[in-house]
Parts: sequence; C-alpha cells; structure tokens
Amino acid sequence: MSLPSISVYYFGAISLVLIGLYGVLVKKNLMKILISLSIMETGVNLLLISIGYVSGKSAPILSEGIGPAQAVDPIPQALVLTAIVIGVATTALALSTAMIIYEKYGTLNIEEIRRLRG
Amino acid sequence: MNGQYASLLIALPLISAFFVPLIKGLGRKAVMGYLVLITAIQTGIAGWVFSEVYSTGKPIIVMAGGWKPPVGINLYIGHFAALFVLIVAIVSFFMAIFSYKAVTVEPIDKYAMLFLLLMLGATGMIATGDIFNLFVFMEITSITAYALTAYNKTGEAAEASMKYIVLGGIGSSFFLIGVALIYGATGTLNMGHIAQLAGTMNATAAQVGLALVIFGLAVEAELFPLNAWAPDAYQAAPHPITAMFSAFVVKAGLYAMARLIYILQNANGWSDILKLVIALATLTVVVAEFSALRQRDVKRMIAYSSISQVGMIAFALALGTQAGISAGVFHMVNHAIVKALLFLTVGYVGITLGGTKIENFAGLGKRMPLTALTLTIGSLAAVGIPLFNIFWSKVRILLAGVEAGYSWSVALILGASVVEAVYYLRLIHTMWFVGNGERIRENFAIGVIAIFLAALIVVIGIYPNDLWTLVQKAGQDIFNVANYISHVPLMGVGS
Repeated sequence: MSLPSISVYYFGAISLVLIGLYGVLVKKNLMKILISLSIMETGVNLLLISIGYVSGKSAPILSEGIGPAQAVDPIPQALVLTAIVIGVATTALALSTAMIIYEKYGTLNIEEIRRLRG
Repeated sequence: MNGQYASLLIALPLISAFFVPLIKGLGRKAVMGYLVLITAIQTGIAGWVFSEVYSTGKPIIVMAGGWKPPVGINLYIGHFAALFVLIVAIVSFFMAIFSYKAVTVEPIDKYAMLFLLLMLGATGMIATGDIFNLFVFMEITSITAYALTAYNKTGEAAEASMKYIVLGGIGSSFFLIGVALIYGATGTLNMGHIAQLAGTMNATAAQVGLALVIFGLAVEAELFPLNAWAPDAYQAAPHPITAMFSAFVVKAGLYAMARLIYILQNANGWSDILKLVIALATLTVVVAEFSALRQRDVKRMIAYSSISQVGMIAFALALGTQAGISAGVFHMVNHAIVKALLFLTVGYVGITLGGTKIENFAGLGKRMPLTALTLTIGSLAAVGIPLFNIFWSKVRILLAGVEAGYSWSVALILGASVVEAVYYLRLIHTMWFVGNGERIRENFAIGVIAIFLAALIVVIGIYPNDLWTLVQKAGQDIFNVANYISHVPLMGVGS
C-alpha cells in the first residue's frame, strides 16, 4: 500500500496544530500553555492559507500583467487577516489574566492554581 | 418599513459601545443610565423585527453592502432569529437595570462597553447567514465573555477566566479548521449555498468538518467534556453577567450548532454526527445533575443545573425530527426565562447578604419574602413541576426522544431529573423552614423584574399553546433547509 501524497503545507500546518494541542494538554506552566495556544492558532492560519493556494499563481493584487485568472484564491487571505487579529486579541487578554493570576497566587503552575473547586 | 433597518440590531450596540468612553467623564450614574437606555432601544428594534417577521411570515434578509449572497455576507432573520434576538435584548435590558445595584467595582465604563459587545456578539451569532461571520461573532462573544468573567479582579475570577480562555482558544481553533475544511470542500462560506452543495460534498470532508465545528461550538454551548470552565465562570463572574451567560450566550452556541448540523443534512454520513451529539448531550445532563447535588454554593449549584438543561436542549436539537427541534426551541425560551430569574434572585441575595453560600439562604423566607418567593417559583419551574413552563417543554422533549427511538437516553435524562428535584427542594427547604432573621427592605426595580419573570413562568405554564405555536414556526426555520435556501437570494453561482 502506498501512502497518499500530502502537500508539505497541509502536513506542516496540521503538525503545528498538533504540537500546540500537545503543549496545552501536557505543560504545567501557564506561559507555556499560552505559547502552545499561539502555535496552534498559527497552524490553523497556515492551513487556511494553503487551502486557497493555486499552484503557480501569484498574489491576488490586480496590477499590470496579473489578471483575475493568474491570482490565488483571495478569500482565505481575508479570513486569515481576521483570524490573526482575533488570535492576538485573545493572547493579549490571556496574558493580562496571567498577570493577575501571578499577583494573586504567586505562581504560574496550574496545579497550584486551584481555589475554585467543588 | 424597509427590512434592511434590521441591521441596526448589530449597528446600534456597536456604535454605542464606541461612545461609552466619551460619556465616562460624566460619572458612574451616566454610564449606567446610558447602558439601560441603549438596551431599551435595542429591545424596541428587536420587538419591531419580531412583529415584522411573525406578521409577514417571511424572514428578513439583510445584505451587507447590497451584495447578494454568496458574494456578500447576509443576515438571515427568520422566525428563530427574530424570537431569540428579542430574548437577548430583553434579558440584556433587565440585566442592565440589575447592574445598577450589582456592579459597584470600577472601571464601570469598561463594564458597559463589554456588556454591549456581549449583546452584539450573541445577536450576531443568531442572525448571521455566513459561517465565517459566525466565527467572528462567536469570537466577539467569547472574548467579551472572557474579560467579563475576570471583571471582579479577584484570584478566583482570573482563574475562572483563564480556564475559559484556554478551552475557548482550543475550541475556536478547531472551529476554524472545520470552516477551512467545509470551505475547501464546497468553495463557499454562505450557509444557504453550503446547504445547496451539501449533497455533493466529499463524505469524509463533511463529517470531519462538521465534527470539528461541533467540537468548537461545544465549548460555547457547554457540552460535556468541554464545559469544565462553565461552573467556575458562573461562580466568579459578576451576577448580571452570569444571568446573561446562561440566558443567551449558551443559546447562541446551541443554535449555531443546530443550524450548522441541519444545513449539512444532505451530506453523506450525517446521521453518525447526530448520534455523537446525542451521546454528548445525555452525558452532559447526567454528569451536571450529579455534580449539582454536592454543591454548597447556590450560584454554582444553579450553574450546574443550567448546564444540565443545556444538555437536554442539545439532545432535543440533535434528534433530527421536527418535533424534537420544536421542543428544543421551546425549552430554550423557557430556560432563558427561568435561569434569568434564578440568577437574578440568587445574585440579589448574594449582594445583599454577602455571598451565595447555602448558609446565607437560611431564613430567607422571613428576611426577604419577595425574593424568596420568586426564587421558589423559579426553582419549582426548573424541576419541571406541572403548571410551570418547563414542565411542558420537558415533556415535549422526552416524548420526541422516545419517538425518535432514543429510549435509553430518555431514561437517563428522566433519572437525572429526579436528582434535580432533590437539590432544588433542599434549597427551598433551607429558605423557608430553617433559620430566622430580620426583615430586609428589598429593591423596587429588581422586585418588579423578578415578579414579571415569575408571572411569565406561571402564565406560560397555564397557557402553553400560544408559545408552542410560536416556537413550532421557529423550529421549522431550523429544520426545513429547503425553505431556508429558497429565502436566501443566491446570485446564481454554481447552481
């Protein structure tokens, strides 16, 4: 049985998502979890971009010599632009929350941040 | 009037959120008054849209920028969206009034801004007809929800918010992968157009895409493995925000899930996904009811109860039959009313007596009789006692479940309902028959809202048929996809 050929872009993007997921699940340090979350978001964005890629075409900016037929799919690029901004906003909020947690608990180890339970 | 004015439902909260920093200099009273005013106007617009949709029987399609779908983004305000946009607006209005008393922590301008954006996000999620736009509105809702959970600036609030952020971050990433797969398979993002092309989709892409999308939305919709954030967030968030989470943020997630499931009902391998959701929903009900039983904090207990009701709604929405969806929508409306009342009264007790531990509720019947009475009505309704509204929707859901052949989950859900009765009756017993205390003067405005909601519960409980015909139309809106497609004026692309 031969393996199906997968584009290196898809493989890389999905790998990034999985690496991020692994980090979120396994790491104990809150900052590492947030870094993993960012890696995961990057992977998703790369996946979106590679779905819109048409082999051999150029950037979707209409200019001299490049018509609509010579451009890659512009829609995923708009989606990614939005998703990047959302990712940055979430990260900023998460980091400020992490600061408050460090102030109140004196630690970033998730096993010690357990005041809410029941 | 022109239906395009319905876009004000999105535009008004957005523009008014931008104006909050300008009036912040006028002081706390001005900001809170502004919040009440804007939510009142929003309720007015939502009421107009509601009467427009239900009197003509046709959905309002708002086309952004005048571009026809699938090129432009459209808002689809059908029977379901009109009903729920109205509920979102009314609950926000009540909670804005409650915030006068409940939120005393500074900075109040940021609270007002986030409050309006939360309302905007939920309205957008319910109204939109485009899956990427759904993602954006979902992120607006969840980012404001993260920030509002952490609003009290205690360690517990930050901890709850952090759990929510991490789970929500994973969920939104998976949702986006699902959107990417669906886009890759169909080449479109418009829900009407996807529904048209669903039959021709690659079975694997449809199944994996739909499963990922459901996984992403399940974080917002509090389904079993992904709802660990919810009780913490409910406990730590400001009281009005808790009521908003339970009354409509969850409903928006559930609705989006149901909409996307039924959009793809022509895709191959669709029924496997339904079975997955049914199993998750049943587990949600059972786990949440048993966790609620051992809680000492009343707010946390009601949070678990809210999760279990949500599981029941998800069960009904995933049955795949017309009766099931109508019953699910009926339960969504009833649950929104009951949980708004419960969190309002529990929150009010929390701010007057300092905390929501069960000890604080002892002797409440003598100290705050009005609050205790409305809380009792809400609790009885939540258990599903006849003559209260949830009785009817629970019966409908269970009947629809048996009809669709899921007797095992109906049995499990019924068993869990017995547990629910135990902990609500324990709360009622503590309020009326334990302890003593001085009479406390109750707030007039909060009393009026509580009595209004309690009266609504009883009126729907005695005359359920009017609401039932209403929600049947709303259920039709989700179930009948051919009808949905016929209302979206697709530009003749690919068809």
